Amino acid sequence: MAEPPLLEDRIHAVGYRGHTLRGRPRRAPWPMARTALLLAWRNRSTKFALLMCLAVVGVAGVALVGQLLFQRFTSGSGLPMDPASVVGSAQEVFAGFVRAQFYTSAIAIAVIAGGCVAEDRAAGALELYFARPVSRLDYALGKLLGAGLVPTATLIAPTLLLWLVAVGISPPALGAQLWWLGVPAFTAAALGAFVLTTTLVGASALGQKSRTVSVGFVATMLVLTGVGEGLVEAGQTWAGYLVPERDLRTVVDALLEVGRPSIAAQLVPNRGVLPNEDVAASLLGLLVFAAAGLGALAWRLRQDVER
Amino acid sequence: MLLSFQGIRKQFGNTMALADVSGAVEGRAIGLLGPNGAGKTTLMKVCLGLIRPDAGQATVLGHDAVADPVTVRARLGYAAEGPGRLPGLSGLESVAYAGELCGMRRRESLLRAHDMLDLVGLDESRYRPVETYSTGMFQRVKVAMALVHAPDLVLLDEPTSGLDPESRDELLDLVVHLRDHGGPAVLLSTHLLHDVERTCDAVIIMQSGAVRFAGPLDDLRVQRASEYDVRTALPAPALQARLQALHAEVTPGGRPDQLRVRLPAGAGPELLWQAAAATGDAVVHLHARAASLEDAFLEAVGGRPVVAAPAPSAWPRPAEPPRG
Repeated sequence: MAEPPLLEDRIHAVGYRGHTLRGRPRRAPWPMARTALLLAWRNRSTKFALLMCLAVVGVAGVALVGQLLFQRFTSGSGLPMDPASVVGSAQEVFAGFVRAQFYTSAIAIAVIAGGCVAEDRAAGALELYFARPVSRLDYALGKLLGAGLVPTATLIAPTLLLWLVAVGISPPALGAQLWWLGVPAFTAAALGAFVLTTTLVGASALGQKSRTVSVGFVATMLVLTGVGEGLVEAGQTWAGYLVPERDLRTVVDALLEVGRPSIAAQLVPNRGVLPNEDVAASLLGLLVFAAAGLGALAWRLRQDVER
Repeated sequence: MLLSFQGIRKQFGNTMALADVSGAVEGRAIGLLGPNGAGKTTLMKVCLGLIRPDAGQATVLGHDAVADPVTVRARLGYAAEGPGRLPGLSGLESVAYAGELCGMRRRESLLRAHDMLDLVGLDESRYRPVETYSTGMFQRVKVAMALVHAPDLVLLDEPTSGLDPESRDELLDLVVHLRDHGGPAVLLSTHLLHDVERTCDAVIIMQSGAVRFAGPLDDLRVQRASEYDVRTALPAPALQARLQALHAEVTPGGRPDQLRVRLPAGAGPELLWQAAAATGDAVVHLHARAASLEDAFLEAVGGRPVVAAPAPSAWPRPAEPPRG
């Protein structure tokens, strides 16, 4: 007769037990990003900022869907349809959405991630990271990832969603042509998200308090836009390169018209003039903003963390 | 070898935080003892690779902490003295987060965090945000955070500071438990001699950035065993002169026939009888002074280095007192 199996007592609360790490050690950036977002989600201001972003998505979605459904029904009733005009209008909706959402995302990222580095410094939590096997690169990647997920959720994902909806509900004759709008729309959203993330994290690295960083970031963005646009209207075209959103529009419109007469360019005949004259300078302007943010983060980490 | 230092020097502005620290220590629980500003925290941060010394080499668990700090930190746990908390996280989340930062998977670190919070005795309050914790509760969380990834050596920087007597007792009991029940080795930084005496089997005494003693705690006590209160049959000055000629340190006692004698290294109490006989005197009372760790510590930080007993070559030589 077989022996009955021995009972296995598992008493976890008694004494110290050793532990062996299962598998390869995980890298720190993802837990850092996830924890930062978890903490942010517990704040009411985060939910308010996200609601604001959702509202902009809703407005753009209604405009886009309304246009396309109208065309779909009118094409079904035998009325004539101008494909270039429809696609051009859709592109305008995307451009308008990216432009508006760039600013609402700036507010959202400032509210959610404004303290990502500043709060660590204020709370003396840098030691919490660097006393563990976390390198300065891991820390920077973790913070950038955490902050970057905000515009990813508010800017990139809705852009892709709107585009998919547009392709899905457009009249069959337009569906294939609308596919081409995905490239500039996605590029615009990704570039915008990248610039917002790097500049915000850089600002947080320089700041002392979360709230100061958030307010300062949004205020700087608005002041740059106001002053830049004003100077451009007064004939000082160079000032247009100081406005990140204007640089972004320039690059994206140029991307749309690259290789003219491309299919995409033919679809949007109503966007002929670039906001800034020089596309390369606009791209350089965006890269300078991003580099300034990354540089500030690197400088701060070198200052505060000896190793 | 747990820890070894070679000529570590670190200067912050005009302040010499570590002045040519050398030595090696082994043990299950090591006290890092010294007054405030002695360089204890700086030495710990050098071990962690958080501070790069101006000169010298620190080897922790066989790894070069200066050249490869990330590898060293993976095997160390550190509970800093400062606040170091992430406001908004609960105690449980803080400990699990610390585990994830050390490479653990989320589920694995959560289970382990519960274990460690049980160990340090934090009950249902582990679900509350850390900013609502008392000092004692947060100290427990910090220790759990240091232990969660099962390090080989845990560095506790002033863990009992600000604690009430009961919490302090429990924390010291925990250190003893780790020492005696297969936990990681502990380096306990404190300025409280009693904490070291109760929990540690070895000690590093620091003052003004220099190591004044490093070795087993018993060796420190042995130094006191060579000190005697002596009463003589005749007035003592003659014997005093004779003993001083034999390199003993002699101070007069409360009466003319009393002396307090510290014998030179390697000499036994028979030297006292021989000296008394040589001066025509006699020893009528001899009392070996109690091996008080407090006296030894005060002596060590008071300017004269305590000589470690001849022991394993691993133990460091005492450093010279800082000049000037």
